Amino acid sequence: MRIRDKFEQLKKKNKKAFIGYVPFGFPKIKYTKDIILTLAAGLDLIEVGIPFSDPLADGPLIQRATSLALDEGATVKETFKCLGQVKGKIKIPLVVMTYYNPVLRFGMEKFLQSMKESGVGGLMIVDLPLEESKEYIKAARRFDIDTVFFITPTTSLERAKKIAAISRGFIYYISITGITGPKDFSCAPPASHIRRLRKITKLPICVGFGIHTSKQVRQVGSFSDGVIVGSRIVKFIEENWRDKNFLGRLKAYIESLKA
Amino acid sequence: MKVPDNRGYFGKFGGKFVPETLFSCLEQLEATYKKVKKDKKFREELAYYLKEYAGRPTSLYFANNLSKLLGIRVYLKREDLLHTGAHKINNALGQILLAKFMGKKRIIAETGAGQHGVAVATVASLFGCSCDVYMGQEDIRRQRMNVFRMKILGAQVIPVKSGSRTLKDACSEAIRDWVTNVRDTYYLIGSTVGPHPYPLIVRDFQTVIGKEARRQILKKEGKLPDYLVACVGGGSNSLGLFYPFFNDKRVKFIGVEAAGFGLEDFNAASLIKGKIGVLHGAKSYVLQDDFGQIKNAHSVAPGLDYPGVGPEHAFYKSISRAQYVAVKDKASIEGFKLLSEVEGIIPALEASHAIYYLKRLAAKAKGATVLVCLSGRGDKDLEIVQEYINKNKD
Repeated sequence: MRIRDKFEQLKKKNKKAFIGYVPFGFPKIKYTKDIILTLAAGLDLIEVGIPFSDPLADGPLIQRATSLALDEGATVKETFKCLGQVKGKIKIPLVVMTYYNPVLRFGMEKFLQSMKESGVGGLMIVDLPLEESKEYIKAARRFDIDTVFFITPTTSLERAKKIAAISRGFIYYISITGITGPKDFSCAPPASHIRRLRKITKLPICVGFGIHTSKQVRQVGSFSDGVIVGSRIVKFIEENWRDKNFLGRLKAYIESLKA
Repeated sequence: MKVPDNRGYFGKFGGKFVPETLFSCLEQLEATYKKVKKDKKFREELAYYLKEYAGRPTSLYFANNLSKLLGIRVYLKREDLLHTGAHKINNALGQILLAKFMGKKRIIAETGAGQHGVAVATVASLFGCSCDVYMGQEDIRRQRMNVFRMKILGAQVIPVKSGSRTLKDACSEAIRDWVTNVRDTYYLIGSTVGPHPYPLIVRDFQTVIGKEARRQILKKEGKLPDYLVACVGGGSNSLGLFYPFFNDKRVKFIGVEAAGFGLEDFNAASLIKGKIGVLHGAKSYVLQDDFGQIKNAHSVAPGLDYPGVGPEHAFYKSISRAQYVAVKDKASIEGFKLLSEVEGIIPALEASHAIYYLKRLAAKAKGATVLVCLSGRGDKDLEIVQEYINKNKD
């Protein structure tokens, strides 16, 4: 399913997107496929992270997960192999989130081609801002891959306009100035920033960073088009993957966040 | 050719590969820097502190004994004589004035050897700013005295326990802090690395080395040198020396990287062994594996222990303006001892790489005039060298 169609569908039902993040290869490569299949039952969209050795925008939790995944041998190639196996088995869109260097090394064209082949709809590259994205956008359009960009509290409205113009699928709004997994944040500033952003874009705006509870999911959903939970899912996996009924509990946990 | 261009590119290297949160801050920094660069008051203030506080100009010393021994004419640009013991203070003074101009009262920095950290702690104390320095756990162990110096100067040293626990990880952690506290914090980067405009700013503040050296050598020799030699980690002392000679086409630049255990083993020779990649905000040569994961670097010199290198060096390499060579740990220790024994100058281990290289250069360029950047003094390295000698007795 295309990202755009998913948001259309949700809009018709008057629902907000519930989006989750999972790093590939964490805690082990063989687990990712089942984790994605399990998450797909409760989420509207899944972000799959491709680990990078130096994740500048990530807090300790995702750093730890990334580092474990790399020790397990998680690479770009392995990620696409896994996503290829998931293809056709889930009904929700997938997006890949990573840093620029693994993409650059793999080759942008080849990377986008692999995404296409494994049925991934969108890409976010954390450290590839607007100014450095010209080639990337051209290539992504050719492969019909959605380019998801970030807008943050420090992004001016003028800049946001330019970002919105090159964004496809949705816009990832970062709730605070900071790295992934902040303890808390206040809803008022992003709510008012997003109100202003509505005037410059019709794209869905989803909010991530610092969302841990079902209460926050509801609150953030009230002023955005979707809520992204990342570190909290990683934390749940870290604490529970050894459990015999891990996947069942993961499923229940996702439901509890939506409650 | 004017580098970098407006987008921060040195040829195809450089740029601003940062998370969106940092973008506005880089733009603000760029605009402020453009303004102060031309501001007479700013330039006078910087000149004042470089002279009265840091001890510039540094001398260009003709190393007579070493010259006789090697059969070349060696001049040492004595950055080791500066306050805090290395060239790092040039950049720290420049950037703290920039931070002051921007109204930022909290300074953060990364440090490898601790020389940059000490320089930043020093200027933060001088200008009444609070200061947090990120330093890898492994470097904290290797450079205990510098850690203590920073603390005495009132800075907080934050140990970094991720990755290789050295400069690369300290740099990542400093950037994370910056992303989080971007509104009131100034990130005082220590080398010609990072996103634009940092490689430009740091290079500019370090060109005082090359400008002085050019004047001094003309006065002493009546001509320009045949070679400039400097060690390259991130690249700030070397670019500071090289850049003012850029248009002097007959002056050859030699950048000495750290070959660590060897070029086929762990090393920090990013220009020689790296592939084009993006690390800490800039496109340059990076030590990495086939899937773009950054490799851990190694050098006995903590200040060279970094898997990337400034984009301007990548550019110099691409247009063959500079030649890059590498010297192993073992040889750098030999360079360290050599200069101490024949000239009574204990060089920093980083600069010892450049010193050792003179032996190789002398073999092929008899009689040449060589200007070397002695980027720092070696007091901080005595423990490492002692440990190294004890371990490698046989």
